[in-house]
Amino acid sequence: MKAWLKNRTRTEYITVCLLLIGFIASMIFINNNYDLYDRTIVHITDVQEINREDQPDEHGNQDEKVTQHIVGEVKNGSDKGEITEFDNEYVQSLALDYELSAGDEIFLAQDGEATGDIKRDKYFVFVAWIFLIILLAVGKSRGALSALSLFVNAAILSFALDIYIQNPSISLSVITAISIIIFTILSLLMATGFNEKTYTAILATLIGTVISLMIAYAALHFTGEQGLRYEEMAFLTRNPETIFMAGLLIGSLGAVMDVAITLSASMFEMYEKNNRIDLKTLKKAGYEVGKDIMGTMTNILFFAYVSGSLPMLLIYFKNAAPFGFTISMNLSLELTRALVGGIGIVLTIPIAIYISIFFIRRKQAKL
Amino acid sequence: MNVLVLLAIILFALMAWVGGMKGVRSFIALFINFIIVLMAVFVMNDPSGNPIIITLIACGFISAVSLFFINRVNNKTMLAFLSTIATMVILIFFIIILTEQSMIYGLGEEESGEITAFNVHIGLNFIQIATAVIIMSTIGAIVDTAISITSPMREIHDQNPEISRKNLFFAGIRIGRDILGTSTNTLFFAFFGGYMGLLIWFKDLDYSLGQIINAKVFNDEMLGILISGLGIALVIPIASLMSAYYLKKQKKDIALDEQK
Repeated sequence: MKAWLKNRTRTEYITVCLLLIGFIASMIFINNNYDLYDRTIVHITDVQEINREDQPDEHGNQDEKVTQHIVGEVKNGSDKGEITEFDNEYVQSLALDYELSAGDEIFLAQDGEATGDIKRDKYFVFVAWIFLIILLAVGKSRGALSALSLFVNAAILSFALDIYIQNPSISLSVITAISIIIFTILSLLMATGFNEKTYTAILATLIGTVISLMIAYAALHFTGEQGLRYEEMAFLTRNPETIFMAGLLIGSLGAVMDVAITLSASMFEMYEKNNRIDLKTLKKAGYEVGKDIMGTMTNILFFAYVSGSLPMLLIYFKNAAPFGFTISMNLSLELTRALVGGIGIVLTIPIAIYISIFFIRRKQAKL
Repeated sequence: MNVLVLLAIILFALMAWVGGMKGVRSFIALFINFIIVLMAVFVMNDPSGNPIIITLIACGFISAVSLFFINRVNNKTMLAFLSTIATMVILIFFIIILTEQSMIYGLGEEESGEITAFNVHIGLNFIQIATAVIIMSTIGAIVDTAISITSPMREIHDQNPEISRKNLFFAGIRIGRDILGTSTNTLFFAFFGGYMGLLIWFKDLDYSLGQIINAKVFNDEMLGILISGLGIALVIPIASLMSAYYLKKQKKDIALDEQK
């Protein structure tokens, strides 16, 4: 342990200190920021259960309705410091409402008589810090760069959507296309720096994304979108199809970039180990790498998309909805996203291999 | 023809073309995993079962299919499997506490409007279901990272059998550093893409920063994605440690056998 401490550089000590200070300061801030909110915040001090009754439904599901009497202290606004009392009702399965306990902090509903929402900002900030710290501990400077690139990408996306909302004349596809080019160039440059490896990956990502989008578009057009159910698409203020297509593009971009950089990195590494390597051998080795990553990469997207539908699937089944109807209502969009992403991943493998070979052949010719 | 069937056929054809037999196996694995998820949902329909345990068992099967079916059983895949399970178990405690404390379970007010026709008080525990969703959304990424570390570590060990356990471990961490950024990127873009609608919703309805950062749907998604990132970061040292320990131990055993 002592030897380990001794081996740390000064930069590492300073980084750790800065991180600790940042972490503690922001946690103190986020736990005491009541005055920044207009909505009334209540810190709950006492909870008593005053009623509990059975609530069965026509499908035979057993549930219980519970009423709690809540005592709490108002933390902001004109009544700051005063004690408030109200009743909180919840159903035991907690699909819509909350079971409160002493110590919780909540936003009061508009009428001041019920629970509005939970104060969640402190948990978000806490987990974001834990994520950042673990990323830095495992990845060091590389981890810092990936955290930075995630942050920059989120800011770009937010900015792009602002432009879209303020200028209804610009279509979402154009804005998405431009953002995708920026995302790809920035993320890959940040991941591997200015070199041929990166340029190969950028080209392969963009070409792979365009071709897989064309395939998806052709497939949707050819089948007349039969089987796609936009009804259950949540959070809609605009045309679902446009939003879905834009999401399709951005959703698979990360995976396609991952495949492109993995392939170009390993092919350029083989070339650097042996400058005179035969291009056929190189191509074969590239395909071997591609085969290895193809299965697990498609799996990542599949689970990232499909798992979110779990609660809705359960609600449908519990309401005795038919199996086929439930699946097509809840999973058709998610499965389309996963399949189109998978097509992008697999297509990018040969594209990245051929572009790498193109660059390597030019380099070999110069030797 | 149904869009999904057509897209699935295209994906199958591409996987077979690029990956040969291994590509075909990868596609079948994807299909089996889909069946496992559906089975898990069916079992969860029974209120007496615990969704978290059901999900853990399902995740065990899912990682077994993704690792052993595509790549055959060998010490690389076995180590990846074990490190996946170890990471899951560590993550689960964190996820359960967080879901319960931040109350991100159930449906947000933005979501509940669309299902007025249905009764949502279905007698299942939504705290556990929310936990199950987070676990399941990250399993693919954790398996991918685990195999990306154990596989080159064995290569390194085979090429330099004299490498010390400590150096082998740090070689694993260095490989992990290379994939950490791209794997978290993959998940973040999948999140952005899936929730474009939500992001536009927040902007269209003029949500303030305070409303967004406290909203259930936002935290549900954000915490889920940050925890997936945590899982990816955690599996790196776990897989490196397990591989370094096992590969060196095996070597010692062989040496001992030879001495006898």
